[in-house]
Amino acid sequence: MATFILQDATGIGSDDLDPARGFIDMAIIANDTGLGMADPAAGKQRLVYARTGNGPPRLRLDAMINTAFSPNYGSGANNVDTIVVAGLKSLVLDDGTPMADNGTALPPKSSGLPGASLNPTEQCLVIYDTQLAVCVARDGSGGVLDLPVSPPVALYHEFSHAFRIVNNTLLALGPTCNPSSPEERAAIIDENDLRTDLATRAGTSPTLRDPGIHCGRLASDGEGCCCIIATLVSRSPLSQQVQQLRCARDHFVRGTEVGHTFFEHFFRDYYAFSPQACTLMAGDQSLRHQLLEGFVEPLLDFWNMMVERGRCVMGSTQLGAAFIALHADRGHAEQRRAALQRTSAYWEGGAGQSAEAPAQLMALLRERAWPSPYMQWALVAPVRLMHALLTRYLSGADAPAIGRAFTEALDAWAPEVPISTLWAGLPAAQVRHELGFCERALLQTTKSKIRFRQRLGERFPHITAVAGVLGRLQTIHKGDTW
Amino acid sequence: MVSDDSKPGDLTAAIQSVAPVDTRLQVVVRLQNKAARALHYVADVRAMRYDPTTRTLTLALSDEGREVIPGLAGKLPLFRHVDPGSEAEIHLSVPDRIVKLSRSAGSAGAAGSAESGELSFETQQLSDVREVVVEVAWADVPYYHDTRASALQDARLPAARWEQHKARATKRQDKKRAPKS
Repeated sequence: MATFILQDATGIGSDDLDPARGFIDMAIIANDTGLGMADPAAGKQRLVYARTGNGPPRLRLDAMINTAFSPNYGSGANNVDTIVVAGLKSLVLDDGTPMADNGTALPPKSSGLPGASLNPTEQCLVIYDTQLAVCVARDGSGGVLDLPVSPPVALYHEFSHAFRIVNNTLLALGPTCNPSSPEERAAIIDENDLRTDLATRAGTSPTLRDPGIHCGRLASDGEGCCCIIATLVSRSPLSQQVQQLRCARDHFVRGTEVGHTFFEHFFRDYYAFSPQACTLMAGDQSLRHQLLEGFVEPLLDFWNMMVERGRCVMGSTQLGAAFIALHADRGHAEQRRAALQRTSAYWEGGAGQSAEAPAQLMALLRERAWPSPYMQWALVAPVRLMHALLTRYLSGADAPAIGRAFTEALDAWAPEVPISTLWAGLPAAQVRHELGFCERALLQTTKSKIRFRQRLGERFPHITAVAGVLGRLQTIHKGDTW
Repeated sequence: MVSDDSKPGDLTAAIQSVAPVDTRLQVVVRLQNKAARALHYVADVRAMRYDPTTRTLTLALSDEGREVIPGLAGKLPLFRHVDPGSEAEIHLSVPDRIVKLSRSAGSAGAAGSAESGELSFETQQLSDVREVVVEVAWADVPYYHDTRASALQDARLPAARWEQHKARATKRQDKKRAPKS
């Protein structure tokens, strides 16, 4: 006996565990038809593996699954199995540590190893959140935390710890994440074996994690982008499209608390559906292509124009010219409009959903993505806006007409940006600073500024710093910026 | 710990509200800085503890007391500051139920009827909470990465080494009143 996936346990609801996802993640690691599961017994299913392939991930799984480990932690040799606990979003450890967006490997309670006091059993527990959204340090970046961790990679990282726990060869752990402790360094080196294996399968060059840095952050923390959908459809976290998203994000976030908090909320909502969306898209090349052409690229064009507009005020004439310059090749413009129409049909639940994956993807988006005001404002509305403008342009509208339509659309869209509760915690000077930034970078026109200030005042009527700043602005000139 | 010129009462906390929203509890905490300098605090929940006997939920915005365990990534807390003589609000969101690894696993005949040695859990409904406690770690300097060699030997998590004090707030949830007849 060696490795199990937990199916059920006393005191737990059926919605808390995701053993199916646990097995899928394991199958992604193995990429080998020899992996399977025995019948369930006592709430667990034993993994079975008749390895047919080579390479570090398969050799590691083979060892974990087909070896009976009997480590001696000091009180005699005892059998130690590994139990994978997959998908517990609401799990907390005994010291109160939440396991959401996290993963760990806990040694048996009597082993005396780090983490043993949190494990009530004599097995090695591998616990991970199957919907985690964490970014870690990309190798060669000097510590930039923009490399996403997919659930199989997270599981494999914890398996690395588990392997040394059950062999009683755990290395030293330390409190700092930079530099990594010897134990975490070893787990990251193993993790990179899987990253390399996955990239080889996809025919791309691997992007690795820096073994010297164990630091990470929630993807929702916004300092560094690891947009996994753009990464998937463009096939690399270093692609031009992902770099452009990163640039747009940095422009709007840089130095501002409100921008930072916006992206916190945005990424929290984004990662509520994007890992599953990527799983659904992974095996569907035509869907990935459709999303690149009919969603990611128009979205990037929109946000790139917004970045330019934030750097220097753009009137409707410049907006119209910029839009037409993007679509100078009429054949390409027609192609994009067709792709946007297909995307629109997907969203509306109409044509093109005969395949299972798009139907599941759209159901996921309707349930998890569209209800979020952050997704609506930052992802959906801009693509719809681009679609409407392109349709108008291809029907014969000239640059001034496109420019006017663009300005009107932005006046309706920009001031409806979701307002976070952060404003309530800011001192007056910072409210002024943040509002000034929003007005320069995003709002620009008098109409947009007035509408946003109205919304801000209505949202926080009793917060003195906000009310004071807005009141003072009213006594100056409507539409003026700090 | 960094040089400590501040007093424990310089930053006070009060829980403004505790409200269920969908499947989460939203907790609003108001901080007041009575000092003449900016104070820096942890703004996200680092640990959640629920005592079902007293129905007390403790939200720790602090890394104190947690040990280093093997894990996916070392994540620092979210740090924010509040200006001198000013107030700030923290909006926290936690699940309205948590699932904790049961201490009774592995002991024959333990409560919860888990088989000896088997894994078991305790589900705790936070919607039943009677008292909410929030502990906010703070210091009068921003967090900085401690690069000293001695830091590597210190078993505490980095933010626990940084914190100077905790502001503590408690709110007792009102009992539901019967409708007037």
